[in-house]
Amino acid sequence: MENKPTSSPTSFVDQSVVPGDVVLDLSNMTNQTLKLGGGLRQDCDAISVMKAGKLRFSNPNKYWVESSQKRYVPRAGDSVLGIVVDSKADNFLVDIKGPGLAFLPVLAFEGGTRRNIPKFEIGTLLYVRVVKANPGMNPELSCTDASGKAAEFGLLKDGYMFESSTGLSRMLLSSPTCPVLDALGKKLSFETAVGLNGRVWVNASSPSTVIVVANAIMNSESLSGVQQRIMVEKLIQNLKLST
Amino acid sequence: MEIDRLDGRKANQLRPLACSRNILNRAHGSASWTQGDTKVLVAVYGPKAGTKKNENPEKACIEVIWKPKSGQIGKLEREHEMIVKRTLQSICILNINPNTTTSVIVQVINDDGALLPCAINAACAALVDAGIPLKHLAVAICCCLADSGYIILDPTKLEEQSMKAYAYLVFPNSILSVRPEGSLKVQGEPMEHGVITSGTQGAMSVDDYLNCLERGRAATAKMSTVLRRNLQPQIASDLSKAG
Repeated sequence: MENKPTSSPTSFVDQSVVPGDVVLDLSNMTNQTLKLGGGLRQDCDAISVMKAGKLRFSNPNKYWVESSQKRYVPRAGDSVLGIVVDSKADNFLVDIKGPGLAFLPVLAFEGGTRRNIPKFEIGTLLYVRVVKANPGMNPELSCTDASGKAAEFGLLKDGYMFESSTGLSRMLLSSPTCPVLDALGKKLSFETAVGLNGRVWVNASSPSTVIVVANAIMNSESLSGVQQRIMVEKLIQNLKLST
Repeated sequence: MEIDRLDGRKANQLRPLACSRNILNRAHGSASWTQGDTKVLVAVYGPKAGTKKNENPEKACIEVIWKPKSGQIGKLEREHEMIVKRTLQSICILNINPNTTTSVIVQVINDDGALLPCAINAACAALVDAGIPLKHLAVAICCCLADSGYIILDPTKLEEQSMKAYAYLVFPNSILSVRPEGSLKVQGEPMEHGVITSGTQGAMSVDDYLNCLERGRAATAKMSTVLRRNLQPQIASDLSKAG
């Protein structure tokens, strides 16, 4: 193990950190407002890490730890894919892979009134937006965007849903378009919905297209951009050979 | 007086360590830890909603299930469960997800000495893999005391059974910090000098026990680096730049 006798590293930004590492010392940073994202907590004067991952910084004052898990930590404003588990008088109970079930109010649809409450059976897949996610309380969802329009939220019919990690979901949603979706979109036509909670839904006209797209996305997690394009080309060649 | 160990190791030498993460498909977090021939596999599920009857609903609850390699579950397994549970409770941040239960299932694959420290190391790695918020990591080690007062580390099963006494100790891991003086101080002493868990078997004098503490603490530096290296994120770093 290398020895750092007296000098300590000046900054951990863009480096891997594990729980317990102290990444910021507030005693030399007075009169600044910092925004701490996921994975960091404040312990008197020190900001220490709670989850293992890469520390990221964005100007002017945001710090967070980027990590990829199988479970989801609900945050307000995220778009997620939920599965209906139960329906009560006022809410649908929806599972979004978080610590508790989320509530979807029966009226949270565009033009929703007491007379046209949608009938969702248990097991229905929905694309919803997280409205509130306070610690200790069940998250609240909505099928409309902030202004009240439907905006593609709601029931997802047909298609195929599979689970991924939260890191893969963020990569699929990054802009510019991530290489695997870009390469697939040039040759095949399909539609997809990606939830930040680690669920991806794919729909296309033929089952073989759905399978190719799903396999390509699942395999692309640990590959770089160039490797992703090569993998997609191979899969599409196999698809064309077999049809 | 030097003692010759059966496998030719020196007194302070640990067996080869191996750790792998994310090995089980369905578990939310999983890790296996190997020390020589002792191997333990741990799976973590959670956090899930709801706590057990006698647990405090304002805190997260950790439930440990110990599965031996063979034989029925008896009092020894229950004792191991209680020790692992108490250790994990002191490293987890319990008020982040109140009223939830995290299940930790420990499966012994092979027992060749130092079983409980191996299980605690694996459980800590599995919790990090599942994304459970932790205050810091825990590193566990086993020290054996011979009749002459000679201390050896990381014993095999034969050595454990033939020695006068042994102690297993769990320390916080060594952390990286931006502060020049290192870690957080608790009552004037650096946090790394604390002991999370300690258990002994057999009779030893107080001086021998303090010697064990010193030797064990010095040896945990190497285990800390192995753990830190294995907890690095595994995704390609150039794609996860979305802010």
